[in-house]
Amino acid sequence: MPSLFFSAALIAALALLPVAHAAKGHAHGEGRLDVAIGKEQIVLSLELPLDAAIGFERAPKNDKEKALLAAAAATLNDAAALFLPTPAASCTLHSVQIDMPQFDGGAHADIAANYTFRCANPAALKSIETTLFRSFKRLYRIEVQRVSPAGQGAARLSPKQSVLSW
Amino acid sequence: MRAVLILAVKSAWARRLTLSVTLCAIALASALLFAVERVRHDARQSFTQAVSGVDLVVGARSGGVQLMLHAVFHSGSATHNIRWESFEAIATHPAVDWAVPLVLGDSHRGFPVLGTPPDYFRHFQYSDQRPLAFAAGQAFADIFETVLGSAVAAELKLDVGDRIALTHGMAEAGPGHDDKPFTVVGVLAPTGTPVDRGVHVSLESISAIHLDWAGGAPLPGLAIPAEFVRKFDLQPKEITALLIGLKNRADVFRLQRHINSYRGEPLMAVMPGVALDELWQTLGMVEQTLLAMSALVVVIGLAGLLATMLAGLNERRRELAILRALGASPRDLFLMLTAEGLLITTLGVAFGLGLLAVGTFFFAPLLQAHFGIILQWRLFAPNEWLLLAAILATGLVASLIPGARAWRMSLADGLTPRN
Repeated sequence: MPSLFFSAALIAALALLPVAHAAKGHAHGEGRLDVAIGKEQIVLSLELPLDAAIGFERAPKNDKEKALLAAAAATLNDAAALFLPTPAASCTLHSVQIDMPQFDGGAHADIAANYTFRCANPAALKSIETTLFRSFKRLYRIEVQRVSPAGQGAARLSPKQSVLSW
Repeated sequence: MRAVLILAVKSAWARRLTLSVTLCAIALASALLFAVERVRHDARQSFTQAVSGVDLVVGARSGGVQLMLHAVFHSGSATHNIRWESFEAIATHPAVDWAVPLVLGDSHRGFPVLGTPPDYFRHFQYSDQRPLAFAAGQAFADIFETVLGSAVAAELKLDVGDRIALTHGMAEAGPGHDDKPFTVVGVLAPTGTPVDRGVHVSLESISAIHLDWAGGAPLPGLAIPAEFVRKFDLQPKEITALLIGLKNRADVFRLQRHINSYRGEPLMAVMPGVALDELWQTLGMVEQTLLAMSALVVVIGLAGLLATMLAGLNERRRELAILRALGASPRDLFLMLTAEGLLITTLGVAFGLGLLAVGTFFFAPLLQAHFGIILQWRLFAPNEWLLLAAILATGLVASLIPGARAWRMSLADGLTPRN
Protein backbone atom coordinates (compact mmCIF):
# COMPACT_ATOMS: atom_id res chain seq x y z
CA MET A 1 0.00 0.00 0.00
CA PRO A 2 2.26 2.82 -1.17
CA SER A 3 -0.48 5.42 -0.69
CA LEU A 4 -0.87 4.37 2.92
CA PHE A 5 2.85 4.75 3.45
CA PHE A 6 2.76 8.13 1.77
CA SER A 7 -0.11 9.32 3.99
CA ALA A 8 1.70 8.10 7.07
CA ALA A 9 4.79 10.04 6.04
CA LEU A 10 2.68 13.14 5.45
CA ILE A 11 0.96 12.89 8.78
CA ALA A 12 4.30 12.42 10.52
CA ALA A 13 5.58 15.47 8.69
CA LEU A 14 2.52 17.50 9.69
CA ALA A 15 3.09 16.70 13.32
CA LEU A 16 6.57 18.16 13.06
CA LEU A 17 5.47 21.36 11.37
CA PRO A 18 5.88 24.66 13.13
CA VAL A 19 2.71 26.60 13.95
CA ALA A 20 1.56 28.27 10.74
CA HIS A 21 1.94 31.94 9.98
CA ALA A 22 -1.74 32.57 10.34
CA ALA A 23 -1.78 32.20 14.08
CA LYS A 24 0.02 35.44 14.78
CA GLY A 25 2.71 34.32 17.14
CA HIS A 26 5.43 36.18 18.88
CA ALA A 27 8.72 34.41 19.49
CA HIS A 28 11.71 36.27 20.85
CA GLY A 29 14.60 36.24 18.41
CA GLU A 30 12.32 35.39 15.49
CA GLY A 31 11.41 38.01 12.93
CA ARG A 32 9.01 37.80 10.03
CA LEU A 33 9.41 39.26 6.60
CA ASP A 34 6.85 39.47 3.80
CA VAL A 35 8.40 40.11 0.41
CA ALA A 36 6.12 41.24 -2.40
CA ILE A 37 7.87 41.55 -5.75
CA GLY A 38 5.77 43.45 -8.24
CA LYS A 39 6.49 44.55 -11.79
CA GLU A 40 8.77 47.42 -10.85
CA GLN A 41 8.89 47.52 -7.10
CA ILE A 42 9.66 45.39 -4.08
CA VAL A 43 7.69 45.87 -0.89
CA LEU A 44 9.27 44.45 2.26
CA SER A 45 7.21 44.21 5.44
CA LEU A 46 9.31 43.36 8.45
CA GLU A 47 8.03 42.43 11.88
CA LEU A 48 10.63 42.22 14.61
CA PRO A 49 10.08 41.36 18.27
CA LEU A 50 11.42 44.32 20.21
CA ASP A 51 13.40 41.91 22.35
CA ALA A 52 15.44 40.83 19.32
CA ALA A 53 16.36 44.45 18.62
CA ILE A 54 17.12 45.86 22.06
CA GLY A 55 16.81 43.06 24.62
CA PHE A 56 13.64 44.15 26.42
CA GLU A 57 9.97 44.68 25.56
CA ARG A 58 8.83 47.52 27.79
CA ALA A 59 9.07 51.28 27.84
CA PRO A 60 12.67 52.43 28.31
CA LYS A 61 13.40 53.27 31.95
CA ASN A 62 16.55 55.35 31.72
CA ASP A 63 18.65 57.28 29.24
CA LYS A 64 20.71 54.25 28.30
CA GLU A 65 17.64 52.27 27.35
CA LYS A 66 16.19 55.25 25.50
CA ALA A 67 19.40 55.48 23.51
CA LEU A 68 19.18 51.76 22.67
CA LEU A 69 15.67 52.22 21.36
CA ALA A 70 16.65 55.24 19.29
CA ALA A 71 19.65 53.38 17.88
CA ALA A 72 17.44 50.44 16.82
CA ALA A 73 15.06 52.85 15.09
CA ALA A 74 17.98 54.52 13.33
CA THR A 75 19.34 51.16 12.13
CA LEU A 76 15.93 50.15 10.80
CA ASN A 77 15.57 53.49 9.05
CA ASP A 78 18.77 52.98 7.11
CA ALA A 79 17.09 50.62 4.65
CA ALA A 80 19.71 50.95 1.93
CA ALA A 81 22.22 49.32 4.26
CA LEU A 82 19.71 46.81 5.64
CA PHE A 83 18.52 45.21 2.41
CA LEU A 84 20.70 44.60 -0.63
CA PRO A 85 18.77 43.47 -3.73
CA THR A 86 20.71 41.99 -6.68
CA PRO A 87 22.92 44.92 -7.84
CA ALA A 88 22.14 44.27 -11.53
CA ALA A 89 18.46 45.04 -10.91
CA SER A 90 19.48 48.64 -9.95
CA CYS A 91 16.95 49.00 -7.17
CA THR A 92 16.76 52.21 -5.19
CA LEU A 93 15.01 52.89 -1.94
CA HIS A 94 11.69 54.62 -2.44
CA SER A 95 10.10 54.82 1.00
CA VAL A 96 10.57 53.70 4.59
CA GLN A 97 7.99 53.56 7.33
CA ILE A 98 8.88 52.40 10.83
CA ASP A 99 6.27 51.79 13.53
CA MET A 100 7.97 51.63 16.92
CA PRO A 101 5.92 49.97 19.66
CA GLN A 102 3.68 52.16 21.79
CA PHE A 103 4.13 50.19 25.05
CA ASP A 104 0.42 50.06 25.76
CA GLY A 105 0.67 47.45 28.45
CA GLY A 106 0.72 44.29 26.33
CA ALA A 107 3.01 41.45 27.28
CA HIS A 108 4.95 41.72 24.04
CA ALA A 109 6.02 44.46 21.69
CA ASP A 110 6.90 44.33 18.01
CA ILE A 111 8.51 46.73 15.60
CA ALA A 112 6.82 46.90 12.21
CA ALA A 113 8.70 48.30 9.26
CA ASN A 114 7.72 48.76 5.63
CA TYR A 115 10.23 49.33 2.87
CA THR A 116 9.60 50.01 -0.80
CA PHE A 117 12.29 49.71 -3.44
CA ARG A 118 11.93 50.67 -7.09
CA CYS A 119 13.90 48.65 -9.59
CA ALA A 120 15.06 49.85 -13.02
CA ASN A 121 15.76 46.34 -14.24
CA PRO A 122 13.41 44.02 -12.34
CA ALA A 123 14.18 41.05 -14.61
CA ALA A 124 17.65 40.83 -13.06
CA LEU A 125 16.29 40.68 -9.52
CA LYS A 126 17.20 37.25 -8.19
CA SER A 127 17.99 37.74 -4.52
CA ILE A 128 17.90 40.09 -1.55
CA GLU A 129 20.56 40.04 1.11
CA THR A 130 19.86 41.36 4.57
CA THR A 131 22.28 42.71 7.18
CA LEU A 132 19.66 42.53 9.94
CA PHE A 133 21.52 39.72 11.69
CA ARG A 134 24.68 41.80 11.89
CA SER A 135 22.85 44.71 13.49
CA PHE A 136 20.67 42.67 15.84
CA LYS A 137 22.67 39.93 17.53
CA ARG A 138 19.68 38.55 19.42
CA LEU A 139 17.86 37.87 16.18
CA TYR A 140 18.47 34.29 15.09
CA ARG A 141 15.81 33.61 12.50
CA ILE A 142 13.52 35.36 10.03
CA GLU A 143 10.60 33.48 8.50
CA VAL A 144 10.04 34.78 4.99
CA GLN A 145 6.93 34.64 2.82
CA ARG A 146 7.58 35.71 -0.73
CA VAL A 147 5.39 36.43 -3.72
CA SER A 148 6.58 37.35 -7.18
CA PRO A 149 5.09 37.17 -10.67
CA ALA A 150 6.80 33.76 -10.90
CA GLY A 151 5.06 32.35 -7.84
CA GLN A 152 5.11 32.05 -4.09
CA GLY A 153 7.62 30.63 -1.68
CA ALA A 154 8.77 30.42 1.89
CA ALA A 155 12.28 30.64 3.26
CA ARG A 156 14.07 30.81 6.55
CA LEU A 157 16.88 33.31 6.98
CA SER A 158 19.48 33.00 9.70
CA PRO A 159 22.86 34.57 10.52
CA LYS A 160 24.47 31.83 8.41
CA GLN A 161 21.96 32.16 5.57
CA SER A 162 21.25 35.84 5.17
CA VAL A 163 20.54 35.85 1.44
CA LEU A 164 17.01 35.33 0.19
CA SER A 165 17.13 33.98 -3.36
CA TRP A 166 14.61 32.43 -5.71
CA MET B 1 48.70 3.49 -24.08
CA ARG B 2 46.14 2.28 -26.60
CA ALA B 3 47.50 -1.21 -26.49
CA VAL B 4 47.16 -1.18 -22.72
CA LEU B 5 43.53 -0.12 -22.93
CA ILE B 6 42.73 -2.80 -25.49
CA LEU B 7 44.46 -5.30 -23.25
CA ALA B 8 42.35 -4.09 -20.31
CA VAL B 9 39.12 -4.59 -22.23
CA LYS B 10 40.13 -8.03 -23.47
CA SER B 11 41.26 -9.10 -20.03
CA ALA B 12 38.00 -7.92 -18.52
CA TRP B 13 36.06 -9.79 -21.21
CA ALA B 14 37.93 -12.96 -20.27
CA ARG B 15 36.59 -12.60 -16.72
CA ARG B 16 33.16 -11.42 -17.80
CA LEU B 17 31.12 -13.61 -15.48
CA THR B 18 32.57 -12.26 -12.23
CA LEU B 19 32.67 -8.71 -13.50
CA SER B 20 29.11 -8.75 -14.82
CA VAL B 21 27.82 -9.53 -11.34
CA THR B 22 29.66 -6.47 -10.02
CA LEU B 23 28.40 -4.48 -12.97
CA CYS B 24 24.81 -5.43 -12.14
CA ALA B 25 25.27 -4.29 -8.55
CA ILE B 26 26.59 -0.91 -9.70
CA ALA B 27 23.78 -0.57 -12.26
CA LEU B 28 21.07 -1.26 -9.66
CA ALA B 29 22.70 1.03 -7.12
CA SER B 30 23.05 3.96 -9.48
CA ALA B 31 19.53 3.44 -10.85
CA LEU B 32 18.24 3.66 -7.28
CA LEU B 33 20.20 6.84 -6.56
CA PHE B 34 19.01 8.56 -9.73
CA ALA B 35 15.43 7.42 -9.14
CA VAL B 36 15.37 8.87 -5.63
CA GLU B 37 16.77 12.17 -6.86
CA ARG B 38 14.41 12.32 -9.81
CA VAL B 39 11.26 11.53 -7.83
CA ARG B 40 12.29 14.11 -5.22
CA HIS B 41 12.82 16.79 -7.86
CA ASP B 42 9.76 15.99 -9.93
CA ALA B 43 7.48 15.70 -6.91
CA ARG B 44 8.34 19.29 -6.01
CA GLN B 45 7.81 20.37 -9.58
CA SER B 46 4.40 18.70 -9.87
CA PHE B 47 3.14 19.96 -6.54
CA THR B 48 4.27 23.49 -7.32
CA GLN B 49 2.49 23.36 -10.67
CA ALA B 50 -0.71 22.19 -9.03
CA VAL B 51 -0.90 25.28 -6.80
CA SER B 52 0.65 27.84 -9.15
CA GLY B 53 -2.66 29.37 -10.27
CA VAL B 54 -4.09 29.97 -6.80
CA ASP B 55 -2.99 32.99 -4.75
CA LEU B 56 -4.70 32.17 -1.46
CA VAL B 57 -6.51 29.22 0.08
CA VAL B 58 -8.99 30.16 2.79
CA GLY B 59 -10.43 27.78 5.35
CA ALA B 60 -11.18 27.33 9.02
CA ARG B 61 -8.21 28.01 11.27
CA SER B 62 -5.93 24.96 11.45
CA GLY B 63 -2.45 24.32 10.08
CA GLY B 64 -1.44 26.07 6.88
CA VAL B 65 -0.02 22.95 5.29
CA GLN B 66 -3.04 20.92 6.37
CA LEU B 67 -5.47 23.38 4.83
CA MET B 68 -3.48 23.60 1.60
CA LEU B 69 -3.23 19.79 1.31
CA HIS B 70 -6.93 19.37 1.92
CA ALA B 71 -8.19 22.13 -0.37
CA VAL B 72 -5.79 21.60 -3.29
CA PHE B 73 -4.70 17.97 -2.98
CA HIS B 74 -7.88 16.65 -1.29
CA SER B 75 -5.86 14.66 1.23
CA GLY B 76 -6.55 14.70 4.95
CA SER B 77 -9.60 16.50 6.28
CA ALA B 78 -10.80 19.90 7.38
CA THR B 79 -11.35 20.75 11.03
CA HIS B 80 -14.34 23.02 10.45
CA ASN B 81 -16.40 24.43 7.64
CA ILE B 82 -16.74 28.12 6.92
CA ARG B 83 -19.98 30.00 6.56
CA TRP B 84 -21.41 31.05 3.23
CA GLU B 85 -21.57 34.67 4.44
CA SER B 86 -17.82 34.65 5.04
CA PHE B 87 -17.31 33.50 1.46
CA GLU B 88 -19.47 36.35 0.19
CA ALA B 89 -17.66 38.90 2.32
CA ILE B 90 -14.26 37.81 1.04
CA ALA B 91 -15.31 37.35 -2.59
CA THR B 92 -16.38 41.00 -2.79
CA HIS B 93 -13.08 42.35 -1.46
CA PRO B 94 -11.68 44.81 -4.06
CA ALA B 95 -8.35 42.97 -4.37
CA VAL B 96 -10.05 39.70 -5.30
CA ASP B 97 -10.19 38.80 -8.98
CA TRP B 98 -12.03 35.51 -8.53
CA ALA B 99 -13.07 33.38 -5.57
CA VAL B 100 -14.27 29.80 -5.91
CA PRO B 101 -15.91 27.99 -2.99
CA LEU B 102 -15.25 24.27 -2.53
CA VAL B 103 -17.21 21.61 -0.66
CA LEU B 104 -15.31 18.38 -0.02
CA GLY B 105 -16.16 15.21 1.86
CA ASP B 106 -17.92 12.81 -0.50
CA SER B 107 -16.30 10.41 -2.89
CA HIS B 108 -16.90 8.11 -5.82
CA ARG B 109 -15.02 4.80 -5.60
CA GLY B 110 -12.11 6.42 -3.79
CA PHE B 111 -11.98 9.56 -5.93
CA PRO B 112 -12.76 12.79 -4.07
CA VAL B 113 -15.94 14.66 -4.97
CA LEU B 114 -15.51 18.40 -5.35
CA GLY B 115 -18.59 20.59 -5.00
CA THR B 116 -17.93 23.87 -6.76
CA PRO B 117 -19.63 26.41 -9.04
CA PRO B 118 -19.04 26.05 -12.82
CA ASP B 119 -16.78 29.15 -12.51
CA TYR B 120 -14.15 26.76 -11.22
CA PHE B 121 -13.46 25.52 -14.75
CA ARG B 122 -12.97 29.08 -15.95
CA HIS B 123 -10.74 30.34 -13.13
CA PHE B 124 -8.61 27.43 -12.01
CA GLN B 125 -5.18 27.46 -13.61
CA TYR B 126 -2.17 25.22 -13.27
CA SER B 127 1.52 25.27 -14.29
CA ASP B 128 2.15 28.75 -15.70
CA GLN B 129 -1.39 29.93 -16.24
CA ARG B 130 -2.78 27.05 -18.25
CA PRO B 131 -6.57 26.90 -17.93
CA LEU B 132 -8.56 23.70 -17.58
CA ALA B 133 -9.75 22.22 -20.87
CA PHE B 134 -12.49 19.73 -21.65
CA ALA B 135 -11.55 16.53 -23.45
CA ALA B 136 -15.24 15.81 -23.96
CA GLY B 137 -18.55 17.43 -23.08
CA GLN B 138 -18.82 20.66 -21.11
CA ALA B 139 -19.24 22.08 -17.60
CA PHE B 140 -22.25 21.02 -15.54
CA ALA B 141 -25.23 23.34 -15.73
CA ASP B 142 -27.75 21.50 -13.57
CA ILE B 143 -27.92 19.41 -10.42
CA PHE B 144 -27.04 15.72 -10.68
CA GLU B 145 -24.55 16.43 -13.43
CA THR B 146 -20.82 15.78 -13.01
CA VAL B 147 -17.54 16.57 -14.72
CA LEU B 148 -14.78 13.99 -14.24
CA GLY B 149 -11.05 14.50 -14.06
CA SER B 150 -9.11 12.62 -16.74
CA ALA B 151 -7.75 9.96 -14.34
CA VAL B 152 -11.22 9.19 -12.97
CA ALA B 153 -12.65 8.73 -16.44
CA ALA B 154 -9.72 6.60 -17.58
CA GLU B 155 -9.51 4.36 -14.51
CA LEU B 156 -13.24 3.74 -14.15
CA LYS B 157 -13.77 3.67 -17.93
CA LEU B 158 -16.46 6.31 -17.79
CA ASP B 159 -17.53 8.63 -20.56
CA VAL B 160 -20.04 11.39 -21.20
CA GLY B 161 -23.55 10.04 -20.71
CA ASP B 162 -22.62 7.41 -18.09
CA ARG B 163 -24.29 7.48 -14.68
CA ILE B 164 -22.49 7.22 -11.32
CA ALA B 165 -23.52 7.23 -7.66
CA LEU B 166 -21.60 9.11 -4.99
CA THR B 167 -20.59 7.78 -1.59
CA HIS B 168 -20.74 9.68 1.68
CA GLY B 169 -17.25 10.14 3.12
CA MET B 170 -14.00 8.92 1.64
CA ALA B 171 -14.40 5.20 2.38
CA GLU B 172 -15.09 3.12 -0.71
CA ALA B 173 -17.89 1.27 1.08
CA GLY B 174 -19.42 4.18 2.96
CA PRO B 175 -23.14 4.92 3.12
CA GLY B 176 -24.31 5.60 -0.39
CA HIS B 177 -26.16 8.32 -2.25
CA ASP B 178 -27.41 5.69 -4.71
CA ASP B 179 -30.91 7.12 -4.72
CA LYS B 180 -29.66 10.22 -6.57
CA PRO B 181 -27.31 9.17 -9.39
CA PHE B 182 -25.28 11.67 -11.41
CA THR B 183 -24.87 11.88 -15.17
CA VAL B 184 -21.39 12.52 -16.59
CA VAL B 185 -21.61 15.63 -18.80
CA GLY B 186 -17.91 16.40 -19.21
CA VAL B 187 -14.43 14.94 -18.96
CA LEU B 188 -11.44 17.22 -18.40
CA ALA B 189 -8.19 16.97 -20.35
CA PRO B 190 -5.22 15.61 -18.34
CA THR B 191 -3.40 18.25 -16.26
CA GLY B 192 -0.98 16.25 -14.14
CA THR B 193 -2.49 17.84 -11.03
CA PRO B 194 -5.01 16.58 -8.44
CA VAL B 195 -7.74 17.93 -10.75
CA ASP B 196 -7.32 14.69 -12.73
CA ARG B 197 -8.61 12.70 -9.75
CA GLY B 198 -11.58 14.95 -9.01
CA VAL B 199 -15.28 14.25 -9.48
CA HIS B 200 -16.74 17.74 -9.91
CA VAL B 201 -20.36 18.54 -9.15
CA SER B 202 -22.23 21.75 -8.45
CA LEU B 203 -22.66 23.11 -4.92
CA GLU B 204 -26.42 22.67 -5.27
CA SER B 205 -25.96 18.97 -6.07
CA ILE B 206 -24.05 18.48 -2.83
CA SER B 207 -26.89 20.13 -0.90
CA ALA B 208 -29.45 18.06 -2.79
CA ILE B 209 -27.94 14.67 -1.97
CA HIS B 210 -27.70 15.59 1.70
CA LEU B 211 -31.25 16.97 2.04
CA ASP B 212 -32.59 13.84 3.72
CA TRP B 213 -29.44 13.36 5.80
CA ALA B 214 -28.56 14.50 9.29
CA GLY B 215 -25.47 13.91 11.38
CA GLY B 216 -23.70 11.99 8.63
CA ALA B 217 -26.41 9.35 8.07
CA PRO B 218 -29.67 9.12 6.13
CA LEU B 219 -32.68 10.17 8.23
CA PRO B 220 -34.72 7.03 8.92
CA GLY B 221 -38.15 7.12 7.32
CA LEU B 222 -37.34 10.20 5.24
CA ALA B 223 -36.37 9.86 1.63
CA ILE B 224 -36.69 12.80 -0.69
CA PRO B 225 -36.87 11.54 -4.29
CA ALA B 226 -34.51 13.17 -6.76
CA GLU B 227 -37.33 14.85 -8.66
CA PHE B 228 -38.50 16.79 -5.59
CA VAL B 229 -35.20 18.29 -4.44
CA ARG B 230 -35.67 21.40 -6.58
CA LYS B 231 -38.46 22.50 -4.25
CA PHE B 232 -35.86 23.08 -1.53
CA ASP B 233 -33.37 25.89 -1.07
CA LEU B 234 -30.19 24.31 -2.36
CA GLN B 235 -27.90 27.25 -1.65
CA PRO B 236 -25.14 25.78 0.58
CA LYS B 237 -24.92 27.10 4.12
CA GLU B 238 -21.33 26.10 4.63
CA ILE B 239 -18.30 25.42 2.48
CA THR B 240 -15.05 23.61 3.19
CA ALA B 241 -12.58 25.98 1.63
CA LEU B 242 -12.19 28.83 -0.78
CA LEU B 243 -9.66 29.38 -3.56
CA ILE B 244 -8.75 32.96 -4.42
CA GLY B 245 -7.06 34.57 -7.40
CA LEU B 246 -5.98 38.21 -7.09
CA LYS B 247 -6.03 41.07 -9.54
CA ASN B 248 -2.50 41.94 -8.46
CA ARG B 249 -0.48 39.08 -7.01
CA ALA B 250 1.57 41.46 -4.84
CA ASP B 251 -1.61 42.28 -2.84
CA VAL B 252 -1.56 38.82 -1.31
CA PHE B 253 -0.15 39.85 2.09
CA ARG B 254 -2.69 42.63 2.49
CA LEU B 255 -5.61 40.30 1.81
CA GLN B 256 -4.06 37.56 3.93
CA ARG B 257 -3.93 39.90 6.94
CA HIS B 258 -7.46 41.04 6.22
CA ILE B 259 -8.80 37.47 6.19
CA ASN B 260 -6.77 36.31 9.20
CA SER B 261 -8.32 39.11 11.25
CA TYR B 262 -11.84 38.62 9.81
CA ARG B 263 -14.32 39.19 12.63
CA GLY B 264 -17.20 36.97 11.48
CA GLU B 265 -15.48 33.69 12.36
CA PRO B 266 -11.93 32.39 12.80
CA LEU B 267 -10.56 32.04 9.28
CA MET B 268 -7.15 31.38 7.89
CA ALA B 269 -5.70 32.42 4.55
CA VAL B 270 -2.74 30.41 3.35
CA MET B 271 -0.43 31.14 0.45
CA PRO B 272 -0.27 27.68 -1.15
CA GLY B 273 3.28 28.17 -2.47
CA VAL B 274 4.46 29.19 0.98
CA ALA B 275 2.72 26.23 2.65
CA LEU B 276 4.30 23.91 0.09
CA ASP B 277 7.78 25.27 0.84
CA GLU B 278 7.11 24.77 4.55
CA LEU B 279 6.15 21.18 3.79
CA TRP B 280 9.41 20.68 1.87
CA GLN B 281 11.37 22.23 4.73
CA THR B 282 9.85 19.62 7.04
CA LEU B 283 10.30 16.77 4.60
CA GLY B 284 13.86 17.90 3.81
CA MET B 285 15.26 15.63 6.49
CA VAL B 286 13.42 12.59 5.08
CA GLU B 287 14.64 13.43 1.57
CA GLN B 288 18.21 13.81 2.75
CA THR B 289 18.04 10.47 4.55
CA LEU B 290 16.70 8.71 1.47
CA LEU B 291 19.34 10.30 -0.71
CA ALA B 292 22.10 9.43 1.76
CA MET B 293 20.92 5.82 1.93
CA SER B 294 20.91 5.43 -1.84
CA ALA B 295 24.35 7.06 -2.01
CA LEU B 296 25.51 4.47 0.51
CA VAL B 297 24.13 1.69 -1.69
CA VAL B 298 26.24 3.05 -4.55
CA VAL B 299 29.32 3.05 -2.29
CA ILE B 300 28.58 -0.57 -1.35
CA GLY B 301 28.30 -1.44 -5.05
CA LEU B 302 31.66 0.17 -5.73
CA ALA B 303 33.16 -1.58 -2.69
CA GLY B 304 32.02 -4.81 -4.33
CA LEU B 305 33.91 -3.78 -7.45
CA LEU B 306 37.01 -3.13 -5.36
CA ALA B 307 36.72 -6.51 -3.61
CA THR B 308 36.27 -8.36 -6.92
CA MET B 309 39.27 -6.67 -8.46
CA LEU B 310 41.50 -7.21 -5.42
CA ALA B 311 40.53 -10.87 -5.29
CA GLY B 312 41.13 -11.11 -9.03
CA LEU B 313 44.56 -9.68 -8.60
CA ASN B 314 45.73 -12.82 -6.80
CA GLU B 315 44.44 -15.05 -9.57
CA ARG B 316 46.02 -12.83 -12.20
CA ARG B 317 49.55 -12.94 -10.76
CA ARG B 318 50.75 -14.97 -13.72
CA GLU B 319 49.01 -12.77 -16.25
CA LEU B 320 50.51 -9.61 -14.82
CA ALA B 321 53.96 -11.15 -14.43
CA ILE B 322 53.95 -12.30 -18.04
CA LEU B 323 52.94 -8.83 -19.17
CA ARG B 324 55.82 -7.41 -17.17
CA ALA B 325 58.19 -9.99 -18.71
CA LEU B 326 56.97 -8.97 -22.16
CA GLY B 327 58.00 -5.40 -21.47
CA ALA B 328 54.98 -3.76 -19.80
CA SER B 329 56.12 -1.20 -17.26
CA PRO B 330 54.57 -1.07 -13.76
CA ARG B 331 52.86 2.11 -14.94
CA ASP B 332 51.17 0.18 -17.76
CA LEU B 333 49.79 -2.35 -15.30
CA PHE B 334 48.55 0.42 -13.04
CA LEU B 335 46.83 2.02 -16.01
CA MET B 336 45.34 -1.28 -17.11
CA LEU B 337 43.79 -2.06 -13.74
CA THR B 338 42.48 1.46 -13.23
CA ALA B 339 41.00 1.49 -16.72
CA GLU B 340 39.25 -1.78 -16.00
CA GLY B 341 37.67 -0.44 -12.81
CA LEU B 342 36.57 2.76 -14.46
CA LEU B 343 35.18 0.84 -17.43
CA ILE B 344 33.03 -1.32 -15.16
CA THR B 345 31.82 1.74 -13.23
CA THR B 346 30.93 3.66 -16.40
CA LEU B 347 29.15 0.67 -17.92
CA GLY B 348 27.35 0.10 -14.63
CA VAL B 349 26.10 3.68 -14.50
CA ALA B 350 25.07 3.51 -18.16
CA PHE B 351 23.06 0.34 -17.53
CA GLY B 352 21.65 1.97 -14.41
CA LEU B 353 20.38 4.91 -16.45
CA GLY B 354 18.88 2.48 -18.95
CA LEU B 355 17.16 0.73 -16.08
CA LEU B 356 15.89 4.09 -14.84
CA ALA B 357 14.44 4.91 -18.26
CA VAL B 358 12.65 1.54 -18.38
CA GLY B 359 11.47 1.96 -14.79
CA THR B 360 10.20 5.47 -15.51
CA PHE B 361 8.27 4.15 -18.48
CA PHE B 362 6.50 1.55 -16.36
CA PHE B 363 6.06 3.39 -13.08
CA ALA B 364 5.45 6.97 -14.21
CA PRO B 365 1.72 6.39 -14.91
CA LEU B 366 1.38 4.80 -11.47
CA LEU B 367 3.06 7.72 -9.71
CA GLN B 368 0.92 10.18 -11.61
CA ALA B 369 -2.32 8.35 -10.91
CA HIS B 370 -1.70 7.86 -7.20
CA PHE B 371 0.31 10.88 -6.11
CA GLY B 372 -0.04 13.37 -8.96
CA ILE B 373 3.71 13.31 -9.52
CA ILE B 374 4.71 13.59 -13.16
CA LEU B 375 8.11 12.10 -13.94
CA GLN B 376 9.71 14.11 -16.71
CA TRP B 377 11.36 12.45 -19.65
CA ARG B 378 14.80 14.00 -19.76
CA LEU B 379 18.41 12.95 -19.90
CA PHE B 380 19.87 14.97 -17.07
CA ALA B 381 19.04 17.80 -14.74
CA PRO B 382 21.99 19.90 -13.49
CA ASN B 383 22.10 18.23 -10.07
CA GLU B 384 22.01 14.81 -11.76
CA TRP B 385 25.23 15.67 -13.59
CA LEU B 386 26.73 16.24 -10.14
CA LEU B 387 25.54 12.81 -8.99
CA LEU B 388 26.96 11.22 -12.13
CA ALA B 389 30.32 12.91 -11.59
CA ALA B 390 30.33 11.83 -7.94
CA ILE B 391 29.68 8.17 -8.84
CA LEU B 392 32.40 8.15 -11.50
CA ALA B 393 34.86 9.86 -9.15
CA THR B 394 34.19 7.31 -6.42
CA GLY B 395 34.58 4.53 -9.00
CA LEU B 396 37.92 6.01 -10.06
CA VAL B 397 39.16 6.16 -6.47
CA ALA B 398 38.08 2.53 -5.94
CA SER B 399 39.92 1.46 -9.13
CA LEU B 400 43.14 3.22 -8.13
CA ILE B 401 43.65 0.78 -5.26
CA PRO B 402 43.99 -2.45 -7.30
CA GLY B 403 46.00 -0.40 -9.81
CA ALA B 404 48.43 0.64 -7.11
CA ARG B 405 48.74 -2.92 -5.88
CA ALA B 406 49.51 -4.18 -9.37
CA TRP B 407 52.16 -1.50 -9.67
CA ARG B 408 53.85 -2.71 -6.52
CA MET B 409 53.73 -6.41 -7.29
CA SER B 410 57.15 -7.44 -8.42
CA LEU B 411 57.91 -9.48 -11.48
CA ALA B 412 59.40 -12.26 -9.39
CA ASP B 413 56.29 -12.45 -7.24
CA GLY B 414 54.20 -13.81 -10.06
CA LEU B 415 56.74 -16.07 -11.69
CA THR B 416 57.93 -17.89 -8.61
CA PRO B 417 55.62 -20.78 -7.80
CA ARG B 418 54.75 -20.65 -4.13
CA ASN B 419 54.79 -24.34 -3.45
